[in-house]
Amino acid sequence: MDGQQEMSGNQLIDTGMDEDVSYLGPSARCVLFTLEDEIYGIHVKKIREVLRVGKIREVAGTPANVLGVINVRGVIVTVVDTRIIYGMPPKPVTDLSRIIIVEIDDENTVGMMVDFVMEVKDIPESKFEALSSTKENASRYIQGIAHYQDNVIILVDVDNMLTQLE
Amino acid sequence: MDEDILQDFLVEATELVDQLNEQLVDLEHSPDDRDLLNAVFRGFHTIKGGAGFLGITPLIEVCHRAENVFDKIRNGEVEYDAVTADVILRAFDIISDAIVQLNDGQRDLPENDPGLLSELDALTKKQHAPDVAAADENMTDEPKLQLAEGLDPDGEITDDEFEALLNQRDSLEGAGAASESSEAGDLTPKVELTLDEGLDPDGEISDDEFEALLNQRDMLEMAAMDSEMPPEPEPKPVEEAIPAAVVSKKEPEPAPKKVATKAESSPAKAPAKNTAESTVRVDTKRLDEIMNLVGELVLVRNRLLTLRTTQGSSEDLSNAVANLDHVTTDLQTSVMKTRMQPVKKVFGRFPRVVRDLARKLGKEIDLELRGEETDLDKNLVEALADPLVHLVRNSVDHGIEMPEDRAQAGKPRKGTVILAAEQEGDHILLSITDDGKGMDPDILRQKAVEKGMMDEMTANQLDDKSAFELIMSAGFSTADQISDISGRGVGMDVVKSMITKLNGSIDIHSVLGEGTRMSIRVPLTLAILPTLMVSFEEDNYAIPLTSVQEIFDFDPEKTNKIDGQMMVRLRDKSIPLYFLGEWLTPGQQKDSYAEDKVVIVSIGNQRVGLVVEQVNGQEEVVIKPLGMMLKKVPGYAGATITGNGSIALILDLPGVIHRFQY
Repeated sequence: MDGQQEMSGNQLIDTGMDEDVSYLGPSARCVLFTLEDEIYGIHVKKIREVLRVGKIREVAGTPANVLGVINVRGVIVTVVDTRIIYGMPPKPVTDLSRIIIVEIDDENTVGMMVDFVMEVKDIPESKFEALSSTKENASRYIQGIAHYQDNVIILVDVDNMLTQLE
Repeated sequence: MDEDILQDFLVEATELVDQLNEQLVDLEHSPDDRDLLNAVFRGFHTIKGGAGFLGITPLIEVCHRAENVFDKIRNGEVEYDAVTADVILRAFDIISDAIVQLNDGQRDLPENDPGLLSELDALTKKQHAPDVAAADENMTDEPKLQLAEGLDPDGEITDDEFEALLNQRDSLEGAGAASESSEAGDLTPKVELTLDEGLDPDGEISDDEFEALLNQRDMLEMAAMDSEMPPEPEPKPVEEAIPAAVVSKKEPEPAPKKVATKAESSPAKAPAKNTAESTVRVDTKRLDEIMNLVGELVLVRNRLLTLRTTQGSSEDLSNAVANLDHVTTDLQTSVMKTRMQPVKKVFGRFPRVVRDLARKLGKEIDLELRGEETDLDKNLVEALADPLVHLVRNSVDHGIEMPEDRAQAGKPRKGTVILAAEQEGDHILLSITDDGKGMDPDILRQKAVEKGMMDEMTANQLDDKSAFELIMSAGFSTADQISDISGRGVGMDVVKSMITKLNGSIDIHSVLGEGTRMSIRVPLTLAILPTLMVSFEEDNYAIPLTSVQEIFDFDPEKTNKIDGQMMVRLRDKSIPLYFLGEWLTPGQQKDSYAEDKVVIVSIGNQRVGLVVEQVNGQEEVVIKPLGMMLKKVPGYAGATITGNGSIALILDLPGVIHRFQY
């Protein structure tokens, strides 16, 4: 249950503890997106906006996981390839691809290129589990996983991921 | 310690320290300036007051003693000579360091060096030290003389005369106090005396009188303190004397000696290292201006919105757009101005730097500051401090000769260094001029050959200007001996690269025997950068225009490969050529570069040619940071957005060249 302690700012609706799907309780509102066929979630409070993919300006000399920079209303934002960060092969941009603008702190934002943005969902905190086996490098960026409505949702550890990339 | 009160105190103290830094040096030049003396006294007193309220014991100790010394000086008992000044300035350094440390978030200040404290105490006890006995004798007579002169027989009392009267009274009392054995006991009656005189029978209180009253109050407090505090350096009573000092005494840090020795060993160092401030004080007039312009902007927007719905004529639209253009330009200027600070912020430290250096070297030097009120960008003010310190030190150390040498050369014994700032269009011109010995281009040429930087023929071909510029090459020092002052730390090559980084340029003019002038040109602001836009297919890059020297077509005929490096011949000189495209898209080999252009840029002292596909022309760009993830990628200074909305990367030339060369 380590994972859920990290989740603050969630809505507290105080009803009984119920393991049902229609469970009401402390929950985390997440934006769910996919990479290949895995579902990932990022807490909404970390997200500024989700953008369609426009022109990305490549920057020579950057690591492979950096796709380039984009202009978000006058602010230059670095776009990273989330697939590469999670150890997947790169894939060309499609119509479904999106860039999720994630806030690191007041001044810094990073764009995460993802395959597809599904929806915004409230996930009961009780569904989250801390990751037991730290098998690979990629798991550093996973805050926890949740089994929810027949899906496995991987919760992205945004803070850790972006400080590692820095 | 109340953090809010502390912050307020620090803002005030920082300003006072800046002022004192200048005033103390000025005072040495004109020790008879009462206003200045009073200002200095008040400065120390105010810092002491704040520190007392917050219970910052080390600060109180030093300020209180310094204040005592200046009180004696006001009373004519002690002379502010160079020896006194040395001690006072050391004490001032402690205060200034303490303020810096507090500003940096440090809360436990080291204890004061008891040596310094007792030296300060010794100053207050110094009645007429034997080495200044003659001068002091004059001093004691002088006040009385002034008294007679100051009295105007016409019966009316002008402000000046009133001030003079006050002064006389001060000095009279000073003389009285000196004759008394018990200092503390004497102070109290003196204050009452002053009060009576200070009260003007006409009932109205003028500024001067008010000032005088304030001074009296200060002295009253002083007297109170003195009576409770024995002259021996015992910190405890100080705390008791100040009722607000409730804060528990902090454990003294184990290394109190360190700070003291640091201050002693490098008195020439600029007193306060300029920690970048994150706040800026803005004149409310400027804010009003901005508010006004924002109001205008809203009006224009409303007009445009109306035009959109009512489909007004194209003339209306173009008027509105023209208006928008004006308002945004003005707004940009106004917002920019909020970041501007007077160059005085940097210049303020130099009187002290020059004074300490001159004293150390046994030279006589006048420093003249000009154009202190010139405004420039806050970041620039901070960034210019180090290069300027180095240049001024150079002038004092290498430029100005010893007084005897100057006299022999038929110059006045006292050398002059002029530090000037002026605005020149969208640039600021800073110059450091000395009337010293100047530089000999022949010696510089010879030196360059000795150092193996070039062969004799090349050296002889250099014109004088290029010869002077040699001093800005790395590893070129003409000082036969590395002196304590220059020849250590930043060299001229570092100065040059710092200035280049600010998109500025540096120019040397020197006449042998007459002096040297170093001129620095920097843009008014760092936010807007004039660039040369170049491109590779669709990708735009901006090269800072100050580095660009010339542009010509790539001609394969004129290139050759020397030791694996492509070179281009330009007016009988070979310049290395770097193909930017290869770096930007590695592994890509173009068939022909015949259509390409060569941009010659200067970086430090070297010139290189960059091969680019297209040159699009000049553009002033707003620099946008690349964000923390890309900050460490070498070769870029930032990015900008071009007129059509696409992103152009701004090249950082030293970084680019570094990547090609290593």
